[in-house]
Amino acid sequence: MELAVELPSELSALAERVAPLALAGERTLPVAAAFAELFPERGLVRGRTLACAGQAATSLALALAAPAVAAGSWLATIDVPTIGLDAASEFGIPLERVVAVRAEAARWPDVVAAAADGFDLLIARVPAELSPSAMRKVATRLRQRDVVMLVLGDPGALSCDGVLDADDVEWVGLGNGHGHLQHRRLVVEASGRRLHGRRRCRLALPG
Amino acid sequence: MVPARSAEPPPRIVSIWFPDWPVTAAGFGADVTAAVMGANRVIARTAAAAAEGVVIGHRRRQAQRRCPHATLVDRDIDRDAREFEPVVRGIAELSPRLDVVEPGWISLLARGPARYFGGDQALVDRLSEQLIEAITAAGTPATAVGIGVADGRFASSVAARLAARRVDALIVEPGASPTFCADLPIGWLQTLGECNAELIELFGRLGLRRLGDLAALSATDVLGRFGHPGVHAHRLASGADVRPTSTTDPAPERRLDHVLDAPAAQSSAVVFIAKQLADELAGTLAADGRVCTRLVVVLESEHGERSERSWYRSAGLSAAAMVERVRWQLDAWINLPRGSDQELTGGVALVRLVPDEVRADDGMQLGLWGGQSEADRQAARAIARLTTLTSDDAVTVPVWHGGRLPADRYRWVPAAMVDLDGRARAVSGAGTGSGPTGPWPGTLPSPSPATVFTEPHPAELLDEHGEAVRVSARSMLSGRPAILLLLTGDEATGWQRGRPRRIAAWAGPWPIEERWWEPGRQRRLARFQVVTDDGDGFLVVAEHRRWWISARYD
Repeated sequence: MELAVELPSELSALAERVAPLALAGERTLPVAAAFAELFPERGLVRGRTLACAGQAATSLALALAAPAVAAGSWLATIDVPTIGLDAASEFGIPLERVVAVRAEAARWPDVVAAAADGFDLLIARVPAELSPSAMRKVATRLRQRDVVMLVLGDPGALSCDGVLDADDVEWVGLGNGHGHLQHRRLVVEASGRRLHGRRRCRLALPG
Repeated sequence: MVPARSAEPPPRIVSIWFPDWPVTAAGFGADVTAAVMGANRVIARTAAAAAEGVVIGHRRRQAQRRCPHATLVDRDIDRDAREFEPVVRGIAELSPRLDVVEPGWISLLARGPARYFGGDQALVDRLSEQLIEAITAAGTPATAVGIGVADGRFASSVAARLAARRVDALIVEPGASPTFCADLPIGWLQTLGECNAELIELFGRLGLRRLGDLAALSATDVLGRFGHPGVHAHRLASGADVRPTSTTDPAPERRLDHVLDAPAAQSSAVVFIAKQLADELAGTLAADGRVCTRLVVVLESEHGERSERSWYRSAGLSAAAMVERVRWQLDAWINLPRGSDQELTGGVALVRLVPDEVRADDGMQLGLWGGQSEADRQAARAIARLTTLTSDDAVTVPVWHGGRLPADRYRWVPAAMVDLDGRARAVSGAGTGSGPTGPWPGTLPSPSPATVFTEPHPAELLDEHGEAVRVSARSMLSGRPAILLLLTGDEATGWQRGRPRRIAAWAGPWPIEERWWEPGRQRRLARFQVVTDDGDGFLVVAEHRRWWISARYD
């Protein structure tokens, strides 16, 4: 005899949405619908390192991280003291799950490894002076721990699985002496060894 | 068929409570200054540490400030449970039917043993002798213990806690629980984890400061105003039992067991099976809208040894809590001293979970998945590790501060100084242009800049003729901004101009005059939003006839 329990579909949908643990088994972290086009898997595949570049790199990283953090993951920023928390919060990142870490270049690989144990998402700047061998260890660790790292600025010796280039920014709302910045239109282009072909998408982004 | 709830008097219960059990389990006697930390807060401390001013709930820093030589150790629930086992076994010799609520807290039905030993006082005397014996035999440092006897679990738990502060046990006469409860401050409901802090705060604001005040209200009014949690509080305040004892026995098929074909020698294998059983049990109960409050865990080895223990939790046992209890019990069984009765000599062959007491789940649980998710716990561990790896101020979390400039709005505070559990309220999502406390007049409209420079970059803003733009006291501009230049270098060596960038669009000035009443700290500045012709957006600030780039919209 088996006691089968059938949950109503709305309830199981709700359970899926509110349970951060349910996501852990899956291979991707959710992204906003506008960004899904960029990835063949339609989400951030765990264990990958993506470089965010271009004029709107920081906003892009925050916007990519937001849905996962909102769903219960924790976000660590490593060596990004300039992160705009208001912007992060406007993208929907609950700030109580954001931790900032500052690391000297020599300790950077250790810090990233330790952060990978507890956080699902990292936004990091990579110190230029690190050797490729140390970077390979970092990449392996991130893969093992199923952590997504978004790199801002020059990735240096770290080889990234993909590059997301946010460029061709056109701001809307600011005139010649009047108005204020409202939103911007930009083109995000994804390329790299794990993102087959070149995928482009045109989207509007605040912040 | 269902008996009236109030007709049944609550059973008489003995509660045994070890204050600060975690610190005793960690092996510190009362005369050593030591404290046990959980989530960066003191959760237990020795009498000596208490005398130095270490208070439960203190952060690590505060505790160290009060008592620099105190030994601080991290919480280890498994250790607490393991060290508690000899005490449980000692009491089980007197009264086998006992519930372990948590390590350091036992409750048992008083009626049978009291009749056997000749009254409550005799039972209490016998129990305290037995406790002292068990504790000395196990080599655990001597510690204070409180024994309370009263009608109903709640009254008896409070009595035990009060007794721990004095020398002798506290016995509330039969039928006297309502009067005993009436004088207690309402905060006891929170201390025992029966009500959440918000409800207690609300009671306090409504002038219900003692349990008697709450009990004096009619139960239907309380239900109408506060819902089920209120009724629960009301029931406790009136000296009735924690819950009406289960009126229907759980159906026998709820008993779940698993016979292992190959007896498990590894405790992880047993825990794995227990997890499957617990998930199934909690799932079937939840499908009926019920929750298990007392769980009997039975473990049997291939050689016929048996370990049976009953676990109680008034808020209900989730699947994870059940597994945790199985783990404690198994751990204690494995660590039984050699040669004792029922010592485990073979692999575990049977795991059985019996929901002994089940009640309707009226939403007392904090959440379907508990208050703290696995992700939160992992992050807390990683933060501790990162702090040791770098330094205290290198690992920071944002705390809302408020201000009109982006850099003022949040402060980064060392994570080690913050209670990560209770943070949601301190920095909850600041909405559009408004902080957690509401709108902040004079802030820039959203979107906010994604890069905020803690130290603004010096810059120059020039008009079409290459003259620096000036902002007058009445916020008038000397010319239209046309070119933005970044400056590098410093005051001493002279500034070098960066590449000139043409301004495509701009708006401003938005003046701020801050603290004009305070000569030392007053600020007067004007903000501009500027977009260069290649699409980069900047927040530029004019202050003291100088230009700064304070944030970048990137």
